[in-house]
Amino acid sequence: MNIVEVQDLRKQYDPPKGVLAVDGVSFDIAQGEIFSLLGPNGAGKSTTISMLSCLLHPSSGDAFVDGHSVVTASQAVKEAIGVVPQDIALYPDMSARENLLFWGKMYGLAGAELHTRVDEVLELITLVDRQKDRVEKFSGGMKRRVNIGVALLHKPRVLYLDEPTVGIDPQSRRAILDGILALRDQGMTILYTTHYMAEAQELSDRIGIVDHGRMIAVGTNDELVKIVGEEAHVDLRVDHYLEGMVERWAEVHGVTKAMIDEDHAVLLVQDANEVLPRLFETAAAAGSRITEVNVTEPNLEMVFLHLTGRALRE
Amino acid sequence: MSRIVAIAWKDLRSTMRNVPALAMMLLAPLALAALLGFAFGGGQSFSISATKVAVANADTGAAGAAGAAENAGAVVAGVLKSPDLKDIVTVSEKPSAAAARRSVDDGKTAVAIVIPADFSSAIFGTSSTAQKTAVEVYENPTQEIGGAITESIVGQALLGFNGARAAAVAASGLATANGEGDRAGKRAQQAAAKYVQGGGAAAAVSVTQRAPRLPGGESTKDVGVTGTILAGMMIFFMFFGANNVARTILDEDRAGTLPRLFTTPTPRHTILGGKYSSVFVTVTVQAVILLVAGRLIFSIDWGRLDAVAALTLVAAAVASGLALLVISLVRTPAQAGAIGAGVYLVLALVGGNFTGTAAAGGTYANIQKLTPNGWLLQGWDAVMRGGGLADIVLNLLVPLGFAVAFFAVAVLRFRKRYA
Amino acid sequence: MKRVWILASKDFLETRRDRLALLFTVVMPLAFTAFFGLMFGGGSDRLPLAIFSADSGAPATQLVSALAKSGVVKTETMTKDDAEKAVDDDKVAAALEIPAGFSADLAAGRPAQLTLVSTAGSSGAQTVQTEVTALAGELAAGERASQAAAAVAGVPPGSDPAAGEQALKDAALLMARPLAAQSLAHPVATVRVIEAGTAAGQIPTGFVLSSPGMLVNFILFSLLTAGIALIQERRNFTLRRLMTTRVRRWELIAGKAVGMFVLTFVQQIILIGAGQLLFGVDYLRDPAALLLMMVALSLVASTLGLLLAAVLTSEQAMVATTVIVSMSVAALSGAWFPLEITGSAFQFVGHLLPTSWILEGLRGIIVRGWNVPDVLPAFGVALVWSAALFAIAVWRFRLSD
Repeated sequence: MNIVEVQDLRKQYDPPKGVLAVDGVSFDIAQGEIFSLLGPNGAGKSTTISMLSCLLHPSSGDAFVDGHSVVTASQAVKEAIGVVPQDIALYPDMSARENLLFWGKMYGLAGAELHTRVDEVLELITLVDRQKDRVEKFSGGMKRRVNIGVALLHKPRVLYLDEPTVGIDPQSRRAILDGILALRDQGMTILYTTHYMAEAQELSDRIGIVDHGRMIAVGTNDELVKIVGEEAHVDLRVDHYLEGMVERWAEVHGVTKAMIDEDHAVLLVQDANEVLPRLFETAAAAGSRITEVNVTEPNLEMVFLHLTGRALRE
Repeated sequence: MSRIVAIAWKDLRSTMRNVPALAMMLLAPLALAALLGFAFGGGQSFSISATKVAVANADTGAAGAAGAAENAGAVVAGVLKSPDLKDIVTVSEKPSAAAARRSVDDGKTAVAIVIPADFSSAIFGTSSTAQKTAVEVYENPTQEIGGAITESIVGQALLGFNGARAAAVAASGLATANGEGDRAGKRAQQAAAKYVQGGGAAAAVSVTQRAPRLPGGESTKDVGVTGTILAGMMIFFMFFGANNVARTILDEDRAGTLPRLFTTPTPRHTILGGKYSSVFVTVTVQAVILLVAGRLIFSIDWGRLDAVAALTLVAAAVASGLALLVISLVRTPAQAGAIGAGVYLVLALVGGNFTGTAAAGGTYANIQKLTPNGWLLQGWDAVMRGGGLADIVLNLLVPLGFAVAFFAVAVLRFRKRYA
Repeated sequence: MKRVWILASKDFLETRRDRLALLFTVVMPLAFTAFFGLMFGGGSDRLPLAIFSADSGAPATQLVSALAKSGVVKTETMTKDDAEKAVDDDKVAAALEIPAGFSADLAAGRPAQLTLVSTAGSSGAQTVQTEVTALAGELAAGERASQAAAAVAGVPPGSDPAAGEQALKDAALLMARPLAAQSLAHPVATVRVIEAGTAAGQIPTGFVLSSPGMLVNFILFSLLTAGIALIQERRNFTLRRLMTTRVRRWELIAGKAVGMFVLTFVQQIILIGAGQLLFGVDYLRDPAALLLMMVALSLVASTLGLLLAAVLTSEQAMVATTVIVSMSVAALSGAWFPLEITGSAFQFVGHLLPTSWILEGLRGIIVRGWNVPDVLPAFGVALVWSAALFAIAVWRFRLSD
């Protein structure tokens, strides 16, 4: 069952001539799944999440979280969601524990229940022994962990994470991704925005690709990749006789297309593992040596390129 | 409600950890009050150092009443040099008028007194249409007080001579009226001598000063200068204290914690209400600390507790409302600092935070009333002099009205901004 | 050196862009000057004085009417209770009590008493006391003179021998009084007051004298805006980045100082212009001397601002320190109240500061006819201070947090 239903959300800043940041976005998130919004900077991801957090009023359209409308039942929505903003939103001169206690109160927790919950969250984010230290003294990764911890205090049904791994070291990133997977395993539904394709691929059950405020494709990784077909790219360089090799490779079984791109050959193949040995044989038979091989399996970057004509990472 | 308390407590704790803010809120007013108190001798009232006066006596003297040669100019100089006045004027004698005036121009003395050559002959002249003479008081215009004091002393000295002459003139007139025209001159001299012997005007009237006695028998207390100064500084720095906390609304907006607060189930008006309370609570605590410090460090007796409490709370309301208003009108934290400082400085200058009790009833006292802090300061003054709640009703209500107006505008603007 | 100018103009551009803050740095002091000028420009007003008299004799009445005509006090007769309360409520500067025996004492040649009721620390009371003493003194002088004349007068011819000595004396007194009063009304010796540097009789108004003090006050305060900008730049790391170019450290700092100098100088032009054109404060009496003082003030202000920004790390610290420092310096320099009314220790410290010299210079130009040679010492002191502040700033300048 869908715990989040987004229906044709639109947001225009300063109508009538202002920027149309989100132009008709619709998608659903099933309970217990990780859904990623993937898109370049400026695609409208943060605006969409802001609307889903009831921070911004949609210009039109609606969204339902756990059955409550963000337009008319924002209070109920807020009780069901936990928001982890892109920038660290903590009080630097307060300790980790003090921050958690304060935010817990803002989420309506109190008394012994609050303290217990804070202890639990500190365990979860593995910062129990640093809990009394001021946040301003934490490393970037530690701050991000507290940042996430705050959103978990009131046991939300859906967790929003807005680009949580931007600009942090690989270890911390790994820890965060693992943490997110662990949360999902415990039954949490997660909405995750990012412009990193690898993360989206690794984490998500389903992905929505956004560009210029529009959702241009949505589905599982496999479904999306199918848009560009199942063909892999193979880039080859040879020591001589390039045109000749391209002609011959075009005849090889399993090669759909062969082109010359300046000083190398670009082949589209059905199954790279099967075709590669034949390519080498063909080259050897023609007396040519392959000096460089690059195989690129179909991925989301290619999907984005295919759909928009632009690269995901501008 | 508890969430409002949580927000207020968080901000208060944050302020307590913020050293520059504490320096501004607590250290600054106390240090400045100490400095200014030290300026005025730390005593109960303003005490001035002696005015430096240069005297040039060009008087050539003339035959006096008794026939012997006398130098009236020397008498005037003698008055200035008298031991009674040693704390008020310090006299240096100059050989010429030019030298005396030069000492003023060079800044070595504040005033020069030039007694002309014909002084005695005019004073002791017997004709009723005697020549007039004038003692020149050449002042440095930037030293008004010294100038006024010297003018007063010289005026008194001259009054002695003019009075003796008046006695002589009257006696002469009387003699003529009595048909003793030939003895008019002698009578005149006798009268003049008698006038001088009697001590003249100086002995005739004395003006003493005392504090007001109120009908109920209560006498008002004398207020030390430091108390007045600290009250002014306290209110001024409460403006800044409030500004610091109110500014966190902008800071938190930028840092992301304010939008994050808006994503929690806590309603916006509770969150903003919490911020408003933070400001009020912080400046109230600031004021209490300063009042206690004033008592302990400077032995200031603030007056009746209920009146003091009322003034404190209203001052906190004014400071909070004003700061929130400023913050609601600016866009960036930097503007908050610069514009806030400008507004507070002007309000303080107009309201008299730096200048103590204004001359009562004068224009300045009325100008003070254009500002909420001016009303508060006049209230503090009344309470320090023994007044009670009944005496300061207007001093409480008017600033409170200001505070409510400031607050209302601020709330409207914040609501619009964070709709 | 060219780089210094480039850096300074970048700062200036940035400052101009923050219109609102700039507006305040200029508009606030202007509005305040206008406000005060209008209020006080017309010369000082009379101090309210309450009078309660238990004496109905002639001298008492004369005293009251003399006070009523005074240009220093504005009198109002009221009951004792009302008067005491008026003093307590700060509605009047002081109250004069004329006791029942006043006239009698004067007439009998005994010392007479007057009491002035006021609250301690009220500056108006001092002025009132001086005026009352002067007027009462004149009155007493007339009375004493009459008595002296009457005492030595002979017996008028044709008087009744049966009349007692007292009656004769009273008659003589009656005749003597108008004669004495007449003489005192046209006294032989008067005081002629000349304010050095102006024509005789011209007395500068309170506003004229306070204008330079306000100027110094506001310039010091405006260090805030400049300093905050600098600190923000440090926060943005753009400052550190500048250091990775070929800009040398002292050029960078000098560029900042130039920016602050220009900002404060422009402010001064506006404030002085307003003072001169709108309120007749004669700054332009000697433009060369004025320029020297303006340069001196901006030098001191900009190097001070630089030093504070160099050493302090946060905007809040900047605001706090600027406020405290600028207020202390203003007070110690005589911007708020004349140094002549302070104790000697305070004056000593005050005269160490360049701002007190500059203030004296400005006042000298306005009211004492000072010229370039007269303000050179002040300029020198300012130069020395500025150089020292600049040196310390360069030494301690933190390019990053």
